Amino acid sequence: MAKQHANWSPYDNNGGSCVAIAGADYCVIAADTRMSTGYNILTRDYSKICKLADKCVMASSGFQADVKALQKHLGARHLIYQHQHNKQMSCPAMAQLLSNTLYYKRFFPYYSFNVLGGLDNEGKGCVFTYDAVGSYEKVGYSSQGSGSTLIMPFLDNQLKSPSPLLLPAQDAVTPLAEDEAVDLVKTVFASASERDIYTGDKLEIVVINADGLRREYIDLRKD
Amino acid sequence: MSTSDVELPPKGGFSFDLCRRNEMLSKKGANPPSFRKTGTTIVGLIFQDGVILGADTRATAGSIVCDKNCEKIHYMAPNIYCCGAGTAADTEAVTDMVNSQLQLHRYHTGRESRVVTALTLLKSHLFKYQGHVQAALVLGGVDVTGPHLHTIYPHGSTDTLPFATMGSGSLAAMAVFESKYREGLTKEEGINLVCEAICAGIFNDLGSGSNVDLCVITKGHKEYLRNYQVPNHRAHISSKGFTFPKKTEVLLTKITPLDEKVEVIEAGDAMEE
Amino acid sequence: MDLDMSINAPHSMGTTIIGVTYNGGVVLGADSRTSTGMYVANRASDKITQLTDNVYVCRSGSAADSQIVSDYVRHFLHQHTIQLGQPATVKVAANLIRLISYNNKNMLETGLIVGGWDKYEGGKIYGIPLGGTLIEQPFAIGGSGSSYLYGFFDQEWKEGMTMEEAEKLVVKAVSLAIARDGASGGVVRTVIINSEGVKRNFYPGDKLPLWHEELEPQNSLLDILNAPEPMNT
Repeated sequence: MAKQHANWSPYDNNGGSCVAIAGADYCVIAADTRMSTGYNILTRDYSKICKLADKCVMASSGFQADVKALQKHLGARHLIYQHQHNKQMSCPAMAQLLSNTLYYKRFFPYYSFNVLGGLDNEGKGCVFTYDAVGSYEKVGYSSQGSGSTLIMPFLDNQLKSPSPLLLPAQDAVTPLAEDEAVDLVKTVFASASERDIYTGDKLEIVVINADGLRREYIDLRKD
Repeated sequence: MSTSDVELPPKGGFSFDLCRRNEMLSKKGANPPSFRKTGTTIVGLIFQDGVILGADTRATAGSIVCDKNCEKIHYMAPNIYCCGAGTAADTEAVTDMVNSQLQLHRYHTGRESRVVTALTLLKSHLFKYQGHVQAALVLGGVDVTGPHLHTIYPHGSTDTLPFATMGSGSLAAMAVFESKYREGLTKEEGINLVCEAICAGIFNDLGSGSNVDLCVITKGHKEYLRNYQVPNHRAHISSKGFTFPKKTEVLLTKITPLDEKVEVIEAGDAMEE
Repeated sequence: MDLDMSINAPHSMGTTIIGVTYNGGVVLGADSRTSTGMYVANRASDKITQLTDNVYVCRSGSAADSQIVSDYVRHFLHQHTIQLGQPATVKVAANLIRLISYNNKNMLETGLIVGGWDKYEGGKIYGIPLGGTLIEQPFAIGGSGSSYLYGFFDQEWKEGMTMEEAEKLVVKAVSLAIARDGASGGVVRTVIINSEGVKRNFYPGDKLPLWHEELEPQNSLLDILNAPEPMNT
């Protein structure tokens, strides 16, 4: 008899898009608040953005249950770190921790697509982008999730970053001012929600700069 | 083919061997190109003077919206319209085909088309293709025998109802109809109810979206209300607009005159129309 | 996701259909549910289709298949009536259905019950199940709901019932099947055919008798939720 496979999947895709842009002295991280499955909207008000440290936030799309588990795990690891070192984890350190956490489940991955954004130790904006099993890269801007195929080419056009192969290494941060970056993020999400059925309802924007962390919301299409 | 355990050679009709081959190929991972589907909300109801049809205007290919304002209410005859859900090409082709058959039938008989005629033509075509022509339709019209509303499923079965919904948003729209429909609605009440049902689909079903199209058919009269409601606007427009300055660089320009290579002979008269 | 799949499934009438003879004619009965998997596509469908003035058919199985078969048979019977100059008999109608069902058995998924009255043989019921067999029966039951009814009919059906008794039996049987079979539901429709002609009756779903553990019909779910006593489960 032929081998029978389970006909159910432990994964679901709850959709949604995330964007992060790093500037010279700020970082913008944004995600829509729609959570869906198939053709159904589960909620129009679900935050995909998670504050991991004072200067480090993560936006994740994919499978909500895995994202939740991942956030909880990182939160616990960060608490241990604080107890052991009596300080908050830096953004690049958190980036490495996230990568390790994802790769630890290489053969039963967290179905989550993450961008990590924040300020590094010099107060410069930094963005890290990941795949589901922990491959990551430091970039100037990135997009993940269901609308990323629509958003990424537009960001490439507007914020073309220097090749990572150039020597000496060029700075990856974008040349935009903070308000210009926020406006660009609003535009890309307005555009993505026009054409991607899983992106919409509301946009949550988190801006991190020397003053701290600020949240902003705008409405997106609800259809 | 309803049962594949009875393997008898078909006596006639169409061969669906290639459909079974395609099914086998996609099971093995060779996926065909994705078709444009109208993951849709389409509805219709009978009110005191006739029939109202409604549709959303989103067309999708997978998770991408490929048309934000398409037309899903198709013309069949002056007194008959038809909403289509399913594969866009199939709904378009099948309604166009029946539209022309009805036109010829009118030339032949000199009488107004009847809704049952359209219904029979549609269902016999769809039955012939055994569900492979993926068109789910809501057919409505007013003829000499009064107002009629029918639903037609891809396999060729039909229903006759006072209110009907189809497409991926049919459950959302039917919830509205089931709670609010009653007999003898006025035109205004009917239009509002159809709008509400379509909006339920637009906002709660991801396959449906954008605007509301309506078609009101009464005895000897019809109104096609394209974009009757436009409830979804762009969320944000950049304050200063965008420029795309990085044009393709011109590295070299070389012009080869054609007249050195071609001999032009002037002869003959200009073609007349 | 489950529901998506079921919406795309072909329409089938998980059905209860019944035909019963009595002294003087026949009573046909059916529920009114047409479903695609989990979704009720039509809650008030008419599964008792007219073939001629005096012959009707109860349809079960694939909606598309049973409609096409009865459309063809109606067409042939109309031609036959014109050629003959008198109404077609029930036997002829049943035989045509058998012919189509048998010849296309590899394409069709439909079981039908033909019933009618003609001046030669009176009231007759014929069952034509899946493969295209033709059986003349004093009563016939079909569809998914019929499995709940065999014992009931073995006990309750009697030779030489009156019209009232026969119709009461049919309505009771369909409502019993509706109570137990998830694929049957809605209303009960009956058609009575005898020498006098044809009479159609309609029994709304909220006026049917309640059987074991059935709940009172409710206008709104909110009525149940707001009930003073918690609902027993």
